[in-house]
Amino acid sequence: MTSEPQQPDPALVAQWREVSVHYPFTTTSAVGSVDLSINRGERVLLLGPSGSGKSTLLLTLTGLVPESIPAKVDGEILLFGERVAARKPWAWAARVAQYFQDADQTLTGMRVEDEIAFALENRAIPPAVIAEKVARAMRRVGLPDAWRKRRSSTLSGGEKQLVALAATLVQEAEFFIADEPTAHLAPEAAHRLHALLTHGDPERSILIVDHRLEGLIEFIDRLIVLGRDGTIVAEGHPRIVFRERRDLLMAQGIWCPVASALDGRLEEADIAPPTAPLSIAEALAHLEPGVASPSQIAQARPAVQAFVEAYAPRVAAPSRQSPMLTQLIEADCAPSLGPVVLRHVNLSIWEGEILGILGANGAGKSTLGLCLSGLLPLKAGKRKGAPAGYAFQRPENQFTAGTVQEELLTALPDDMPAALKSNRVAEMLARWELASLESRHPFELSQGQKRRLALAALTVSDRWPLLVLDEPTAGLDAWGVARLIEQIESLHDTGRAIAVITHDLDFASRLCPRSIVVGEGGILADGPTQDLMDDAALLRRAGLVESAHRQAVRWLRRSAPC
Amino acid sequence: MLKARHPLAILFVCIVALVASILAFNALFQIALIALVCVALVAFNRTSPLVLGALMLPFALFGFGFLTTSVFFRQESDFAVKMAGEALLQSSGFSAGLVLFFRAIACGMVSAFFALTTDPGAFVRALMVSAKLPPRIGYSLFAAMQLVPDLAAEAQQMRIAHAMKAGRPPRRIPGPVQVFRLVIPLLAYAVRRAGRTAIALEARGLSPKGPRTVLNAPRFRRGDGVFVIIGLAAIGLCGVTLL
Amino acid sequence: MPNSRIWTLRETLIVAVLGAVFAVLYLGWVQVWLIAQALFGSLTMDVVMGFWFVASMVAAAIIRKPGVAFAAEVLSAGVQILLGSPAGLMLLVTGAVQGAGAELVFAATRWRNYSLPVMMAAGVGAAIFSFAYTWVRFDYGALQPGILIAMFTLRCVSGALLGGWMGHVIVQALYKTGALAGLAIDHDKRAAAA
Ligand SMILES: Nc1ncnc2c1ncn2[C@@H]1O[C@H](COP(=O)(O)OP(=O)(O)OP(=O)(O)O)[C@@H](O)[C@H]1O
Ligand SMILES: Nc1ncnc2c1ncn2[C@@H]1O[C@H](COP(=O)(O)OP(=O)(O)OP(=O)(O)O)[C@@H](O)[C@H]1O
Ligand SMILES: [Mg+2]
Ligand SMILES: [Mg+2]
Repeated sequence: MTSEPQQPDPALVAQWREVSVHYPFTTTSAVGSVDLSINRGERVLLLGPSGSGKSTLLLTLTGLVPESIPAKVDGEILLFGERVAARKPWAWAARVAQYFQDADQTLTGMRVEDEIAFALENRAIPPAVIAEKVARAMRRVGLPDAWRKRRSSTLSGGEKQLVALAATLVQEAEFFIADEPTAHLAPEAAHRLHALLTHGDPERSILIVDHRLEGLIEFIDRLIVLGRDGTIVAEGHPRIVFRERRDLLMAQGIWCPVASALDGRLEEADIAPPTAPLSIAEALAHLEPGVASPSQIAQARPAVQAFVEAYAPRVAAPSRQSPMLTQLIEADCAPSLGPVVLRHVNLSIWEGEILGILGANGAGKSTLGLCLSGLLPLKAGKRKGAPAGYAFQRPENQFTAGTVQEELLTALPDDMPAALKSNRVAEMLARWELASLESRHPFELSQGQKRRLALAALTVSDRWPLLVLDEPTAGLDAWGVARLIEQIESLHDTGRAIAVITHDLDFASRLCPRSIVVGEGGILADGPTQDLMDDAALLRRAGLVESAHRQAVRWLRRSAPC
Repeated sequence: MLKARHPLAILFVCIVALVASILAFNALFQIALIALVCVALVAFNRTSPLVLGALMLPFALFGFGFLTTSVFFRQESDFAVKMAGEALLQSSGFSAGLVLFFRAIACGMVSAFFALTTDPGAFVRALMVSAKLPPRIGYSLFAAMQLVPDLAAEAQQMRIAHAMKAGRPPRRIPGPVQVFRLVIPLLAYAVRRAGRTAIALEARGLSPKGPRTVLNAPRFRRGDGVFVIIGLAAIGLCGVTLL
Repeated sequence: MPNSRIWTLRETLIVAVLGAVFAVLYLGWVQVWLIAQALFGSLTMDVVMGFWFVASMVAAAIIRKPGVAFAAEVLSAGVQILLGSPAGLMLLVTGAVQGAGAELVFAATRWRNYSLPVMMAAGVGAAIFSFAYTWVRFDYGALQPGILIAMFTLRCVSGALLGGWMGHVIVQALYKTGALAGLAIDHDKRAAAA
């Protein structure tokens, strides 16, 4: 409770006053003391390292915390000038649309069309109007009409996310809240969704948490950064924060736009753009041949070169003489309890290889990954090679134990001596920054923490010659991804093979010398990642968009002194 | 054809059939009822006779229990004497058991009729619109019914996770021990999912009171009245066997 | 608000969902029973009966509000019918009778006590009610008194063990998974620990 009562301000949609949240059985607060307000019509992006309390903060807004998720909330929260606790969470639904971090939490398992219509039904809108709005929402998000009768639980990770987004966008609420709405979307779909979220009604206020900034950040009015302790550490216009507080963001392990790294390099070379750039095009606009003088270009080239080199894989492609590890021969793959989605797949992985698996949503990547690791029986064809470890797209699917520590302990081979086991586990907990969470139930972690635990459990032992990681970067902060790259490279150094399914093409090109593109019921292409990225026709066909840093590569080519 | 009927109309006819089956302690009536249901399902619902046969098997096993109980443990059935003397078939214990046996099958087939011709979603919607079932209870029922098919998928997912930890591919068919070990995790999954569904429903505005639209709710048509009349008449016709 | 008697949406959903899971387990148990009956004869039904009460025990011990035991049993009967149970629509009545038996015992403690003895008593309560019901339905009056006593005793023991005790074990195991956080059982356990 604040001491002096303040008058609500009509220009404010939401206001947190000295709010802090404690989950039961925890000693530290999940959200530190936060003072924050959102103006009408403002588009706000909330950033912060994993576990800093972003999702918790969003959940307090309509009272789901503490009404439905037990926790202790101190301070005062106002929505449209009214105290949140004065109404039940459902009473806010007409004015606030919420997309939760886990698509499974937004959806209820109904058929797609019922799922989208549900919020409108609750507002007692006439059936004809609902039907029209549902059709429009499906069109806008890009859901095919044939899915109307499909149950949302038979969709792939990204497809679920699209349905969940349609189900919240259809509400056309004056305040839209989205927690990592694009984590599992293929690049093309993510761009489309970012545009949908940020354009439209200028009266609509938007609060987004996202780690994927490309294509989103240009439309953001204000950035709010939560620190590790759950308090606000920076706030302001993206251009200002990303340039002036870059060191702080890096230290906190928070994502910055790709352009921000380039901006840093150009600054060092003393040829930075006048205003802080949010995209590569902006960063290089003042250096285009014809605009800039040859001497300026020459001054910038080494910096851009260094920037681009950071995206080249550090490991070399293995020579095809090294022994073959796992092979799929003429394989037909089907998700469990689903139809065959991939036919006649031929794929080989060599020892010490890092393979990227790319493709649109619903192309069949997860299915292929499970078949490749031998966990899903093939419908036809053959698989050769030892079983592999698999990091599920939804980390929760991997957890079988009651605590974080136990999850890691049970991931170690049974015949390992107990002392050795606990050593390994302690080391892993420290490496993935999970030590303070060791007695927590795996389901009570933040999404990023769940992902870290899943990856830690998979890499804690060296029992698998091949690891398949399904969307390992979804939900991770920059620090987590750096850790992941480190871990993958050290596994590679011990001769292990790793297959990475990812939508993040920058990540793929930084890590994988070779990639395959899945689509149209089979493997569309197989070759060096850099070559695939240069093939615009292939990318279009597969629903991919070139990774951001490729624009810098093209600038280098354009500006090359002939 | 039967699928287009209003779920509540089907429910009404089924309840009448059940009540009749319970009140009429007569083997012939039960057999007539069974035949009626089977003919209706095969003719108007395109149910394959093979499916019907497979459905009838557990009902028959179930009924067989009553048959044996009646034959062996009836007070007046002096079983040893009967075995020595008259034919078993004429003992009152046996005929009572026979009625119980056919009644189990008849009740079973009537419910199978309901299950095969009604879409659970449409049923809940019909209850919400016509029987004023509160939406919170309606959607809870809905969620429960939708959970059932997902349990299989979730169990499969858990088996894959367990198999990975054990370091070998999962077996195609789980053994009894494995099934047993999945019970608690599946229950925990169900409870968690209930919590998440509650949040999802409330966040999109499901309120305990107030008006709300129900999309795709089945409506009563003329055909439903015809169906009820024909259904009741057919059950009445079975009653001829009682005379 | 652990003391409020009104069910929240989450609690309603949990009752429904537990009903559904147990419906699946019950149907599996029917198969076990049918096979055992073919092998061991007709008293088997009374021996295995208790397991069909367990949904009310588990739901009641988790939510701890009036009507939960009854509703859970009726719901699982309803879901079984939709899944095509051999017992048919009559199962609704069976479920209601069994649920009422358990509910009555919990009501006698004013929905406050869910310890193992109370759970076992609730199992016996359900057994007694279900015995009375089968008496009417299956013409038990015509059976020999000796066999009736055997059936009754077996059913009560089964209700206490397979219903009450098993329900208790399941609830404790579920509690350890952390899925019950924030529910009445969690409040009570924490209040007891504090
Ligand atoms: N149900 C819960 N019970 C107990 N602690 C929780 C629960 N949910 C989250 N926490 C803890 O609260 C803190 C904040 O979690 P939150 O999910 O808000 O983080 P976040 O910023 O959204 O992180 P991420 O980017 O990983 O999603 C974390 O340390 C997390 O472990
Ligand atoms: N149980 C099921 N029944 C029917 N179709 C299914 C089922 N499970 C998955 N599918 C379909 O199989 C296809 C492949 O799914 P998969 O999960 O492999 O896609 P993905 O490439 O991993 O997608 P994403 O990038 O969205 O994770 C999808 O089109 C999906 O809709
Ligand atoms: Mg989060
Ligand atoms: Mg996938």
